[in-house]
Amino acid sequence: MLLINTQRDALLGPLQSVSGIVEKRHTLPILSNVLLEKQGDRLTLLATDIEIQIKTTAATSGGADASLTVGARKLQDILRSLPEGTDISLQLDDKRLTVKAGKSRFALQTLPAADYPRMAQAEGESLKLALTQKRFKRLLGLVQYAMAQQDIRYYLNGLLLVVAGGELRVVATDGHRLAYASEPIEENLARTEAILPRKTVLELARQLADSDEPLEILLGGNQVTFRFGAVELVSKLIDGKFPDYERVIPQGHPKLLTVPRLTLLHSLERAAILTNEKFRGVRTVLAEGSLKIIAANAEQEEAVEEIEIDYSGEALDVGFNVTYLLDVLRNVSNENVECRLNDSNSSALITLPGNERFKYVVMPMRI
Amino acid sequence: MRRIAHVDMDAFYASVELLRRPELRDLPVAIGGTGGRGVVTTANYVARKFGVRSAMPARQARELCPQCIFLPVDFDEYRKFSRLFKAAIATLAPHMEDRGIDEVYVDLTQIEEDARSVGVEIKRRIREATGLTCSVGIAPNKLLAKICSDLEKPDGLTLLGEGDLERRIWPLPVSRINGIGPKATERLRAIGIERIGELARFESAVLVDRFGPNYGRWLHEVALGRDERPVVTESEPRSRSRETTFERDLHPARDRAELTRILTDLCERLAEDLQKRRYVGRTIGIKLRFDDFTTVTRDMTIHQATADAQVILHVARLCLKRVRFARRLRLLGVRASGLSPADGAVTGAPADAGWETLPLFAASSGLQPPDEPSGSAAAGESSGLPPAHRV
Repeated sequence: MLLINTQRDALLGPLQSVSGIVEKRHTLPILSNVLLEKQGDRLTLLATDIEIQIKTTAATSGGADASLTVGARKLQDILRSLPEGTDISLQLDDKRLTVKAGKSRFALQTLPAADYPRMAQAEGESLKLALTQKRFKRLLGLVQYAMAQQDIRYYLNGLLLVVAGGELRVVATDGHRLAYASEPIEENLARTEAILPRKTVLELARQLADSDEPLEILLGGNQVTFRFGAVELVSKLIDGKFPDYERVIPQGHPKLLTVPRLTLLHSLERAAILTNEKFRGVRTVLAEGSLKIIAANAEQEEAVEEIEIDYSGEALDVGFNVTYLLDVLRNVSNENVECRLNDSNSSALITLPGNERFKYVVMPMRI
Repeated sequence: MRRIAHVDMDAFYASVELLRRPELRDLPVAIGGTGGRGVVTTANYVARKFGVRSAMPARQARELCPQCIFLPVDFDEYRKFSRLFKAAIATLAPHMEDRGIDEVYVDLTQIEEDARSVGVEIKRRIREATGLTCSVGIAPNKLLAKICSDLEKPDGLTLLGEGDLERRIWPLPVSRINGIGPKATERLRAIGIERIGELARFESAVLVDRFGPNYGRWLHEVALGRDERPVVTESEPRSRSRETTFERDLHPARDRAELTRILTDLCERLAEDLQKRRYVGRTIGIKLRFDDFTTVTRDMTIHQATADAQVILHVARLCLKRVRFARRLRLLGVRASGLSPADGAVTGAPADAGWETLPLFAASSGLQPPDEPSGSAAAGESSGLPPAHRV
């Protein structure tokens, strides 16, 4: 029974936009599969890992209607390895899906579509936000690297989304550093907070385009829906209490220095050569007109980098995990960054000159 | 040769209650089942004459002995007397293995005196400390000592010497052996074995054939009165767990909501148990039994020991992700091991502790204002559990 006659690329694109969340090894065998629903001239593709569900559609013509699930990776690998522009057909016979392309033929096993888990529609009122894909992608890029990874404080393994005061704020922290960014949005939306799971954030960052195409965000119940292009991504939210980020953003640190971002980044990258996986600490030594970065390791090797800066305040010697400093410098794009410091036990606040919408807080290391 | 005593308190709960209510001493008394439902936990010897037994439904006990007096269970009181009688034994023979609230094994190998004197002295000291009687069995190993202590209950003292195995143990039914339950008894009966002596006459190979290599070999050994298990004095628990068998087998996907509820409940009960005992665990594990009775376990060691239900649930879920679900489930369990006292310093700090980045969120308030004067930084290290563990 012929289902689809199409071109490789007309199927591979949509498949790739849903298959990213499919886990390689999952507890339920069917979750390695992608759901294909052919109805009329429309093919719906849907994948889920039970926490996230992504759906998209592709236009087709002709062929019979059917629903089935088939191994997502296998189908994707087959399509990807075929030459671009190849004509392909999908055929379903006796629970086997046959992919034909030229002289190639693949018979794949399927599992019934009825057994494929789908996320329930969120109940209750939902909050609706609209902004461009580019703006949200940029916002995610400013903070997502600071999310915790497999932290036991599970609510840190994600990103806090706050709608308040005519702003959309995003916050990520791993308990040692915190990144905050905001974007103006339309006023008069109810104050809302939600924690997006890490995987959802990474998937969005991967899929959103650098374009002014619209993105719609629907927050309601315990889930969030993102609609962009032909894609609908539904994700569960992390149920937990995110720490109060406002209270850890320091106010009134007395020592302010403005540093060229790339100069600082490159100095830190060089100094980091003499740190190792376990000892990521560097000393930052602040004196009049000078900022020194010093890294030393267990083999008594030492790196010293000095940057000339416009600074005339008190001296300071404070240690930081170099990764935390590199992360922020690599993920912002301004020419200069501003650092505010207090003493060797206090956090550092890194901001962008003339921009109130981005803040990065990093705690020092105890040396 | 080793010399092991098994000390078993006589009708423990009932006897403790009767200390408080001596006027009931000659009447039938059962502990538990006061609401008319539930089961009898212990009956005194008067009630036992009517056929009232431990674990018997209260309704049945009432039918057998309508005049029986039912008293509510008071575990705090029993635990108090449990500590007292164990302390009394420890004054004489400190090498002791705790087997629960009312029984212990004591290794007497290092004690010079003859077995009977030691037995008499143990009973005397327990009586002095608690006013309670016990039954003591003294034998070359734990297996025989346990069988012995039961032979002359109540207030018994049974010694097993040369030749006593054949004379006193072999005539006993196989079910007297700790480890031969109703099912095994039934299967042994099916091949004509009812007494321990009959079991002893069977070839090891035959038993292995019937009962599998481990159990078969063990049956053969115990019938010959052999048991090499040492008396284990370790008092710290190694793990705590909670598990439940479902009323019906559950489908991993279709009954997901139900499974989630059960898992959450198990984690909460485990956390409660740990908190009550003031322990935290570093390894959290799950146990699953499928409808074909295959059992799988997965565990995961976390950075910081915990007794928090949310954390246990989170780790249990990570463990579950590593299981392949191809069948329905009949049992789910959660375990915490690698236990340490909750108040003790929590270990697990990385090797480069001196180079750690300070926490952004501190212990007590859940936050550490980083712009406070130095000194406040130390607040982050004070407690064992970071605040973030509490949601």
